[in-house]
Amino acid sequence: MTDRLDRVMAYVDGELDDGARRAFEAEMTADPTLAAEVAAHRELAERLSEAYGPVVREAVPLRLDLAARTANDQARPRIGTWAAVAASLVVGVVAGRFALAPEPAIAVGIELPARTELARALDRQLAAEPGVVRIGITFRDAQGRYCRTFQSAADRLAGLACRGDGRWRVTTATAWTPAAGPDYRTAASGTPPEVLAAVDRALEGETLDASQEKAARDAGWR
Amino acid sequence: MNRLEREIVDLLPRLRRLARVLARDVADADDLVQLTVERALVHRGQWRPGTQLHSWMFRIMKNAWIDESRARTRRAAVLSPEEDALHVGSDGAGAMEARLEVRAVEDAMARLPDEQRVAVALVLVEGLSYKEAAEVLEVPQGTLTSRLGRGRAALLAELQATPS
Repeated sequence: MTDRLDRVMAYVDGELDDGARRAFEAEMTADPTLAAEVAAHRELAERLSEAYGPVVREAVPLRLDLAARTANDQARPRIGTWAAVAASLVVGVVAGRFALAPEPAIAVGIELPARTELARALDRQLAAEPGVVRIGITFRDAQGRYCRTFQSAADRLAGLACRGDGRWRVTTATAWTPAAGPDYRTAASGTPPEVLAAVDRALEGETLDASQEKAARDAGWR
Repeated sequence: MNRLEREIVDLLPRLRRLARVLARDVADADDLVQLTVERALVHRGQWRPGTQLHSWMFRIMKNAWIDESRARTRRAAVLSPEEDALHVGSDGAGAMEARLEVRAVEDAMARLPDEQRVAVALVLVEGLSYKEAAEVLEVPQGTLTSRLGRGRAALLAELQATPS
């Protein structure tokens, strides 16, 4: 690696001390080629930040949020079936294609942290709108709470969440992986039978139609 | 949640960004983040409060990624159609152009050897100092700057053909 490139990098990366920086800047004034190299490196840094910057503003998948807050429970249960799962347990299911794939965590009975993409989708997204999370059916249960079915590709999870005290709470969840191919987002159904069974148990009356769903969302699910 | 867990939750967006540079595929990247978080919590005793949590966790992620790379022949680093569709917005030509720009940068990064790509990511995307980045990579600072220089030269050569 040339000294010259090293010095350009160190300048652009803010690694020079005051004296060296001033000397470099004096050199740059006298040498337009050097100034052009600095400009090219600055532009590269900018393009990289712009390409990867938006990731930090994305909503975080639920499973990552849960991994950070629950992994210290030594007796973290890992159970394969849902029938036996009591409220507030975090459960692992077999994961996908990453060779060392961790088990996606699923929480039943927990309030969804508002920053998760699942909570955001439940708040805002209408049925059949595309996204990493898809919303299926919306209805009110016997207590008058709004409930919505969801499928989350990032969490590899499908389930039912109901709204109470201003937060979404997952009442049923099951492992779910999007069908191969680009079509699953537009497919009308795909809701697992366990979730549909939970809907049948909770449903009071009719499911909301598109305009009722939109009105409920616009009213903040109150 | 204790203090460490809260700090890790706050760090998740940056962990996801670094993982995206390493793994590119969104699901793979999030798997890498989850693995990193789980390893960090298992080895929580090794973290000394008062030191930079992000440097420590970036190092765990780097090591997890190396293990992962050894554990399989990595899939061709291309964006699957499914993945691509996840990014498609409903907004028009401007978004498409931005998407193409991101694609060009990602392609150029994907062609770098892992060690150069991580060096570039830590310094240019995550804004670490040379000292911090060398500590994350567990290499001398001269090795870091050499990787950084080669990586940047390759990126400049490639991206100047597709100016932003």
